[in-house]
Amino acid sequence: MVPQYKAERLRLQQFPWMKGDSPVNSTMSVGQARKLVEQLKIEASFCRIKVSKAAADLMAYCDAHACEDPLITPVPTSENPFREKKLFCALL
Amino acid sequence: MGEMEKLRKEAESLKDQITAARKAVQDLTLQDHTSGTSVVGRVQLKIRKTLRGHLAKIYAMHWGGDTKLCVSASQDGKLIVWDTCTTNKVHAIPLKSSWVMTCAYAPSGNMVACGGLDNMCSIYNLKGKDGSVKVMRELAGHNGYLSSCRFISDSEIITSSGDCTCCMWDIETGTQKTIFAGHLGDCMSLGMAPDFNTFISGACDFTAKLWDIRDGQCRQTFAGHESDINAIGFFPNGNAVITGSDDASLKLFDLRADQELMTFQDSSIMCGVTSLAPSISGRLLLAGYDDFNCNVWDTLKAERVGTLAGHDNRVSCMGVTGDGMACCTGSWDSFLKIWN
Repeated sequence: MVPQYKAERLRLQQFPWMKGDSPVNSTMSVGQARKLVEQLKIEASFCRIKVSKAAADLMAYCDAHACEDPLITPVPTSENPFREKKLFCALL
Repeated sequence: MGEMEKLRKEAESLKDQITAARKAVQDLTLQDHTSGTSVVGRVQLKIRKTLRGHLAKIYAMHWGGDTKLCVSASQDGKLIVWDTCTTNKVHAIPLKSSWVMTCAYAPSGNMVACGGLDNMCSIYNLKGKDGSVKVMRELAGHNGYLSSCRFISDSEIITSSGDCTCCMWDIETGTQKTIFAGHLGDCMSLGMAPDFNTFISGACDFTAKLWDIRDGQCRQTFAGHESDINAIGFFPNGNAVITGSDDASLKLFDLRADQELMTFQDSSIMCGVTSLAPSISGRLLLAGYDDFNCNVWDTLKAERVGTLAGHDNRVSCMGVTGDGMACCTGSWDSFLKIWN
């Protein structure tokens, strides 16, 4: 299903390089190709950390904050700003 | 060898280098790491409030910082600012153009912004001296529709456009300060980093890009989706990016490892993701889909742990409050619902 507004797009959606072909495609100008190469150089020089460290840190963050996450650990009704406060009347 | 051929070879070689470098740090997958963890318990959120008032499809919503106020944009040509606890409309702002696709609330609470097929981002001052809400600035310059916008502060805003670029604007002068070019397809969504130093964009070239706000540089590009990326957001600690696509999946990309760590998909889900929001701990990932539902995913296990069923049309937008207390969904059925 294509959202209504996407029909407004004027560009052709043809990116053969996404599917494994050359990043420099035949519709590019020399200027565009030069820019792409410069961009790839920047991305290639990025210093990556090990996936094990990245995964451990993500897990640690979730563990540290899960108990304060109201969607995982629901707060009592009285502390939930979206719930009606029940009024208790005591017969004296 | 012509220059074009040289550049083609160089690009290929660099692309291979990046692939190899990413593989070289893959000592363990996220799945390996979480294999000993159990799936988070079943999540059953209930509708606490229904915000009624729009007369047509809702296209966007955004929470106002740490408050319980939110702004929504609808094809009925209105921006409505809601007090979500009372369901009262604080402001109902008529728009010049009803073809609105995005809206944003400034972190200060002083302004809201919106834009769409008018190719402009209009800024509204909510705290005018006489109490009325007026257009403060109309940011014109994009050559395509405005798909998303997010305030950095009361003086700077970032926009994404169908012209394949994102832009940072000086609201005071109404001028473009930085243009972020590089995507090869319409930019559909953007997300601001928690520290406001970087932002991410998702586009119709199937990639997400991380941009340095100050120097305009694209630092990282993430490929993997097989269709347009409609929704994008940061994991709460700013170290990962989550994308939602027309290919019916969501993906989590870690920024420091520079690669995809998880895909959230199910053979029974065949429609596109329209919106997403992580819970405040990052453990839950809420996603809105074209099939009128939202799925709640366990971020670490990539398993579905709940659904939010309550809309009668596509869920077009969603957001979790700053304190994580509730989630808001907006739909083409003209209603917003608050869940927790």
